[in-house]
Amino acid sequence: MRKTLIKFIPFLIMTSLLTAGCATTGTTPPKLIPQHGSGSGNRSIALAEVPVYMGNVADVSNKAKVIAIEVGKGAEAKTILVKFDDKTQGIEHAVAGHASIINYEMRGGEPWATVVKPKLAKLPDGVTELKTADLKAMQDKGEKFTLVDSRPAKRFAPSNLPGAINIPVDEFKDQINKLPANKDELLVFYCGGPT
Amino acid sequence: MSTDSAGQAKKQGYKNVKVYLEGEPAWIKAGNPTYASKEFISKGNIVLLDLRSAEKSGAGRIPRSVTIPYATLKDKVESLPKKAPIVLYSDNTEESMSALKDLREAGLKKVSLVPGNMEGWTKTGGETTSGPVITTIEWKRQLEKGEVSAADFQSAASGKATDAVILDVRTKDESAAGKYKNAISIPLDQVGSRKGELPKDKKIYIHCTTGARADMAAKELNKNGYNAFYLVGDVTCAGNDCTIVD
Repeated sequence: MRKTLIKFIPFLIMTSLLTAGCATTGTTPPKLIPQHGSGSGNRSIALAEVPVYMGNVADVSNKAKVIAIEVGKGAEAKTILVKFDDKTQGIEHAVAGHASIINYEMRGGEPWATVVKPKLAKLPDGVTELKTADLKAMQDKGEKFTLVDSRPAKRFAPSNLPGAINIPVDEFKDQINKLPANKDELLVFYCGGPT
Repeated sequence: MSTDSAGQAKKQGYKNVKVYLEGEPAWIKAGNPTYASKEFISKGNIVLLDLRSAEKSGAGRIPRSVTIPYATLKDKVESLPKKAPIVLYSDNTEESMSALKDLREAGLKKVSLVPGNMEGWTKTGGETTSGPVITTIEWKRQLEKGEVSAADFQSAASGKATDAVILDVRTKDESAAGKYKNAISIPLDQVGSRKGELPKDKKIYIHCTTGARADMAAKELNKNGYNAFYLVGDVTCAGNDCTIVD
């Protein structure tokens, strides 16, 4: 057991470093983690590759034991099928619609998930989080602030929060004129989930 | 997306920036209402319900509304299309909120409100119509990108259309219990390794039991140069006799 834990430490460190915004997707190139040589007296450093898929989980099939994960952006975007088995750690973090980080290994030319981690959102410096009750209370009191839905227009249109305006994250700079000119005013951003 | 946007706002010099990280799903889960945009109400493929009386609805309503007075809504819940986005309005906030709650509790997942109800609609210059009310819902799901229609699928499954093959991505056990006669059976987890068994010069219509696995398989095949489409619908088979229910 101890050995297993040690084996996974590089994965854990790495995944904890890979934090990003809510449901943004992306591929990370395989990370190079330096490991010390095997006591041969050689001071050179061997490099071990830990391949990772990072993105939004499109779907999970428990019948077929397959996770479909969307990686890449724009023309690079694609969906990858990653298999899992009873040894896959953290499979409960593979939930359709949630952003995940999947460590995988190639077996017989196909990717198999070894560890699944939720992709946690990291707040930018100086930005704080509101909970549902906080936002509700601010609205009930009639506090003045601008509520911004960062999702694509297609997601905003059918279901958005009271009083929200839509500035899709990819169009932020083009639509910045929708925000108040006074930069002291409170802005609250939200999208489709915590990860 | 929200954290990324908040970071960009900070960079632009906004001093007071917060993020509601849990976002729209948590807002709904806590029992709060969400709203549809004006364009979605006017043009979206939705079921728009006017909860007011037939009298009021006849005198002036949002175009495309179906009139189901709130008192009769409970009896109609079962007949509402499960996959349709449903947008509600009334002239009474309490009523539209109760209806929203009722429909969500009945398991409908895409229910939202007209901002400000009928009053909000007219105040913001929304178009209205009058005359005899509509009481029957006619809603058809539009095919998503990459989806095959049930009609095209059936035509290929019966052998009428020869430009497509049927691929069954259910498990071995599921297929053994009943399958389309002409279907090629490759469980989803083997699609990657066995795709060589499939033709590249024909369309591939994929099914499972709901469409979820078929969608995943289609993405995998299309990525590899195949012309694959997935079927959304509940497929059940007894022997070689299969039925599709949307």
